[in-house]
Amino acid sequence: MLWIALHLPALSLESFAATLGAARQALPLALLQGHRVVAVNGVAAQQGVQPGHKRATALALAPQLCFGQADAARDAQALRAVAHAALAFTPMVTLDTSAGLPCVLLEVQGSLRYFGGLAALQRRLRAALAPLGFGSRLASALTPLGAALLARWRSGFELGAQAQDPARLGALLDAVPVELLGPGQAHHEALQAMGLHTLGALRRLPRDGLARRFGPALLQALDQARGDAPDPREPLCPPPVFDEGCELYERTDSTAPLMHGAGLLLVRLLAWARARQGRVAGFTLVLRHETRQRGDAQVPAQTELRLALAEASNDLVHLQLLLRERLARQVLPAPVRALRLHCDALQHGAPPHGELFPTAASAQEGLTRLIERLQARLGPQQVLQPQPCEDHRPECDTQWQPVARPGRARAGAAPLSPAPLLTRPVWLLPQPQPLPERQSRPLLDGRPLQLLAGPERIESGWWDGAPAARDYFIAQAHDGALVWLYRARLPLVQQEGWFLHGRFG
Amino acid sequence: MDSPPAGLPPPAPETLHPALWRAHQLGRAHDAAVPTGFAALDAELPGHGWPRRVLTELLLPHAGVGEMRLLAPALAAVAGAAPPAARSLMLFDPPARPSAAALAALGLDPQAVIVVHGRDGAHGARHLLPSADLLWALEQALKSGQVGAVLAWLPARLRADALRRLQLAAQAHDGPAFLFRDIEARARPSPAPLRLALHSSGADGVALQLLKRRGPALARPLRLALPPVLAPLPRARAEAALCLAQARQAAAPAPLAAALPG
Repeated sequence: MLWIALHLPALSLESFAATLGAARQALPLALLQGHRVVAVNGVAAQQGVQPGHKRATALALAPQLCFGQADAARDAQALRAVAHAALAFTPMVTLDTSAGLPCVLLEVQGSLRYFGGLAALQRRLRAALAPLGFGSRLASALTPLGAALLARWRSGFELGAQAQDPARLGALLDAVPVELLGPGQAHHEALQAMGLHTLGALRRLPRDGLARRFGPALLQALDQARGDAPDPREPLCPPPVFDEGCELYERTDSTAPLMHGAGLLLVRLLAWARARQGRVAGFTLVLRHETRQRGDAQVPAQTELRLALAEASNDLVHLQLLLRERLARQVLPAPVRALRLHCDALQHGAPPHGELFPTAASAQEGLTRLIERLQARLGPQQVLQPQPCEDHRPECDTQWQPVARPGRARAGAAPLSPAPLLTRPVWLLPQPQPLPERQSRPLLDGRPLQLLAGPERIESGWWDGAPAARDYFIAQAHDGALVWLYRARLPLVQQEGWFLHGRFG
Repeated sequence: MDSPPAGLPPPAPETLHPALWRAHQLGRAHDAAVPTGFAALDAELPGHGWPRRVLTELLLPHAGVGEMRLLAPALAAVAGAAPPAARSLMLFDPPARPSAAALAALGLDPQAVIVVHGRDGAHGARHLLPSADLLWALEQALKSGQVGAVLAWLPARLRADALRRLQLAAQAHDGPAFLFRDIEARARPSPAPLRLALHSSGADGVALQLLKRRGPALARPLRLALPPVLAPLPRARAEAALCLAQARQAAAPAPLAAALPG
C-alpha cells in the first residue's frame, strides 16, 4: 500500500478568498470565528495580524483588513472538490479532517504503473489541482495516517524511503509533534506538561499506562500511523447529482463578479464530472436574489439559467463562454447574493478523440460549438433548421426547429440532385400579401403582373382549422422577376382576391 | 548579386508570385475557388469561381431576382458532398423563410441549412441598421471556419469598420461568404474584393454586372440562364411580353414614366 496525503494548510482562507473578485485578492484578508481571527493571508501577516487576535486588534494593525466568516460548510465543499479532482487518479480517496487539519488521502499503489511512477503521478496531481486554486502539501508513506501526519508536519516528504521502508517511516514519525495526532489534541496541554512533545517520546512510554491515562484511541492512532494496527478507510463516492453553491462577497448585478463566482463552481463541476467519468451535457445556474428591499414583492427569490449542450463537454473555457453569453442576455430583476450550480445531466461513454489535424469529426464538433455559442447569446429560437413536412399547403411544408444536432440526420443518404423544374419559390412570405387588382389583373408595385403559368390548385387542410383553397400562378413582374401568387377560391372562409405568396429567388 | 544575362527578357511579373497580376489580366485566387456552375461567369471571375476566404458582395434591387438560383450550384457543391465532407450553409437574416421544398429542388439538403436571426428577429422586415447581435453571430461563424458557406443579408447602410471586421474574420472561413445588400450600397466603398450587381433579365435569367474584381473592369453586363422555373412555352410568352413592354416604354418614355408613379 502506498498512500499520498494531500494537506491543504490554508483551505478555509483560500476558499473564502476564491469568492472575492480578482481585485480584492491582493488586500489583507482575515477569517473570523466568533470575534477572533482564525486565519490570515500573507499580506495581513506582514502587517502584523496573527491568528488569535481580536477583531478590533486586527483592525488597528491593518485598517484595510477585509474580514470573512469562517464557514465549515464552505470548507467541506472545497475539500470535496479537491477529493473529486483526486478521484481521477485512483478510486480509493478518503478525507481526513482529524486535528482540524484537512487532508485528502489517496491510495496509489495500483496507479503507479499507469501514470509512470510516483513523481510523475504527483506532478499530474498538482496539475489537476491547479485550477481549483488551493495551496497543497504532499507526502507519501506506507500508511494513510502516517502520510497525513507527515503532510501536516512539513514539506519535503513527497518522495523518499518512507514510501517503501516501514523502519524509515517509523523513524520519521518519531519526530512528528504530538498535537498533529487527532486523539492527542484533547490532551495537548497534559502532554506538554509531561514533556512529551513528539510521537517518539509517547511511543517509548509503557503502553498499558498510556492507554489508562489517555484512552485507547491515542495508542490506536499511534499504531495505525506506524502500520502496526490495521487502518481500514471508506472510499469516497462522488454524489450522483452535483449541487453546490457559493455566497458572493457582495451583492452584485454585473457580469464580471457573477462570472467569477460561476467560474469557481464550474471548475468544481468539472472535477466532479471527471470523478464520475462523464461529460457535462447541461447544467442550471441558480442566481439567488437579494430580497431585503421592501416594496418589491414581485422580485423573484431566484433566477434560473438553464444551459443545455448539444455535445457534452468537459472544456472549462467552452462552458465559461456559453455561460458568459447566456448571462449577457439575462436581465436580472435584483442584485444577486449567492449562486448555486446544479447538474444532473452527465453523459457517460468514451470521450471524443483529440485530433491533431482537422477531420470530419472535429469539424462537426466545431460546428456544434459554434451553434451552442450562437444559441447561448441569441436564444435557441433564433437559430433554426428547416424540417420538410408532408403537407400540400406551402406555409405548412416546412417546420422550423431549433438546431439540435447539426448535420447528423443525413448520414448515408445520397446527395440530392437539382429538380428539372423548380415549382416552388425559395422565399415564402410569412404572411401572404394582398395585391390590388385592376381590370381583374393583379398589380405589384402599381404595375400589372403577367401571369405565365398556372393555375396549380391546392386545396387542403379542411380538417385542422386552416383550410386553403387556392389557385397558384407564376407571374412576371415588370422587371422580369418571377413571383408566386394565388387567387383565393373560398370567399366565405378567407379573404378574397389575389395574394403574393413567394418570390423565386 | 549578379545581374540577369543580357540576352533574356525579364520574367513576367505574374509568374513571380500568386498575388501579382497585370492590370489587363484576371487575378488568381490563393485557394481553389468554388466553381459557380455557369461557364460564362467562371470565365470572368478571378480563380474561375466564387472565391474562398473573402467576402463576396451581391447587390440586388430586391429579394427574388434569381440570387439563390445563381448560387445554388456552388452551394450544392459545398453542402452536397458525401456525408463525411458535407458542410453546412448558414443563412443570416434572410429576407423571408426559405421553403424546404424549394431548397431540395435546388439540390440543397434542407438538413444542411441553418438560419440565424438577430435577437429582434423581425423576419423579412428590412432593417435600417443591422443588430449588433447579427454582426457578432456572423463574425463568429466566419471565424470558426466550420461553416461551409455563409450567406448574410445586410442593410445598405453599414459602417465601414463593420465590413472590414467581417472581411478579416472571413480569412479563417474556408468557403464562399456572400453578403446580400441593397443596390444603393453600390456607391459606398467596400473591402470585399468581388462585388456584383444583380438584376433580373427576363424570366429565368439574371444580368450580372461586375462592379469590382481583381482584374480589368467589365463594361457590359453578363446574362446568365438560371435553372428554370418555367416550362419552355410560358418562358417564350414571358420573353415576348417583356420585349413588348420594353418596346412600348421605348416608344413613349416620358408620358408613361410621368403617369406611373401615381
